[in-house]
Amino acid sequence: MSNNKVTVVDREGATHDLEWEPDQSLMEALRDNDLPVLASCGGTASCATCHVFLEKEVFETLGERSEDELELLVEAEGYQECGSRLSCQVDFSQNLDGVTVTLAPEG
Amino acid sequence: MREQQIPQENQKPVVIIGAGHSGVAVAAGLRTRGWQGRILLLDAEKETPYERPPLSKELLKAGAPDESTPLRKEKFFQDKGIERLAGLTVESIDRPGKAVLLSDGGRHGYHRLVIATGSRARALSVPGANLPGVLALRTRDDALELKRVLVPGAQVAIIGAGYIGLEVAAAAAARGCKVTVLEFQDRVMSRVTSAPVSRFFENVHGQKGVRFVFGAAVTAIEGTDRAEHVVTADGARFPADVVLAGIGVIPNQEIAEAAGLHCKDGIFVDDDGRTSDPEIYATGDVTHFTSRIDGQSQRLECIQNAMSQADSVAAHITGQPTSDPEIPWFWTVQHGVRLQTAGVRHPDDDVIVRGTPSEGKFSVVYLRNGRLSAVDTVGGLSDFRPAKKLIARAAEIDPSLAAEPSISLTDAALQPSL
Repeated sequence: MSNNKVTVVDREGATHDLEWEPDQSLMEALRDNDLPVLASCGGTASCATCHVFLEKEVFETLGERSEDELELLVEAEGYQECGSRLSCQVDFSQNLDGVTVTLAPEG
Repeated sequence: MREQQIPQENQKPVVIIGAGHSGVAVAAGLRTRGWQGRILLLDAEKETPYERPPLSKELLKAGAPDESTPLRKEKFFQDKGIERLAGLTVESIDRPGKAVLLSDGGRHGYHRLVIATGSRARALSVPGANLPGVLALRTRDDALELKRVLVPGAQVAIIGAGYIGLEVAAAAAARGCKVTVLEFQDRVMSRVTSAPVSRFFENVHGQKGVRFVFGAAVTAIEGTDRAEHVVTADGARFPADVVLAGIGVIPNQEIAEAAGLHCKDGIFVDDDGRTSDPEIYATGDVTHFTSRIDGQSQRLECIQNAMSQADSVAAHITGQPTSDPEIPWFWTVQHGVRLQTAGVRHPDDDVIVRGTPSEGKFSVVYLRNGRLSAVDTVGGLSDFRPAKKLIARAAEIDPSLAAEPSISLTDAALQPSL
């Protein structure tokens, strides 16, 4: 499988293009490319520091969010019912090539 | 562009001792923050640095691969120019010479040194503690050894009902072992939570066949060639094919102590992670520090602290401002039920149960002088993020509102005066 290309909009509104490798979660791709994603729980849907917004059409192609993920997201800054995800819970898929990911505000 | 802005001193090496969560986070954080100098990561273990929380959870499950999740891919270290020297230990720190001396005879000079040596499992100190079959759990090798002996029908005696003991109890019970947990106190997790949460988890474990013995003071492990029984002060003998001691950890502070750094139950560090030598930092489980949130002098054994201190260290080394302190938080998963805690409770805090434990999902709110100090969430995470924010501002809480789960925790807080 080849890498996905992802465009990331950071919290200042600047865009970054990065490569998302097949063995990475979206969080890992963000973190390992030096984007400011703390991911302090290491990807276990515990801390919600990897909160991102996906475009609605992209969001809808993904599976349901787990109860833990949803409970953390609902209380997160800027929660979007049809857009918010914990990026640690978004696995690589070739369908996600070319997507735009926006980092949610901290807090 | 960026290179021209990097001060000359940034060309000098940062040596990091320890490649656990905190050491790796310092290395990665230095690069993220633009550090151009050499980074040397000294790892006592050989394999790629790995996540520890799964060692007592997912890794022990039947059928789970014998692999631990890497903290970063091997390639990451290469890509970021982080030199990892694996499978060796630091013998000593030469402070006047600004160098570390390694077990292989190597010597590496440092511009800044970061001690991230973590902690080790406290060993049982009773007769028979060295018998084969008496285990502890701290490293991947420990976890794999434990996993091999958690076979169906095995009699497993766990000493200590803390996070580790209980996570292993859950894994062992799920694999068909006969599990007995021996705990000196009168309830589980007494150091970290209140009685309502303890009782809830005792029930969860009880339903899965785990047996608890409280007030149990272990005096010996008996056996001829390997562990066969655990003996307690009252003369009771518990048959055991496997004994796991989960009785806490000890900070790996010896090399810091020998180098004359200020230590007592951890290496003392300031808000920036600096030790008593301003060119040496320490981070993670091995540190002892004064909380920027409540002034408590403490050592914290958690991922959050490991990551948060690492960030402060990377910021300070690169001359950048440190972030606001994060409320400490902790989690454990036992029999699929999550306990997640924000803040550090004191035993004399007021305790408010929020919700109905028998429904499997509730929170416990802790108040100190009427202000929120900590929250335990069980089986759900709705209160977790609001709790962190409210603790950070030391919010005053209306106890009767907080006891009502249909009212959000935020609405149970009195508004801060303007």
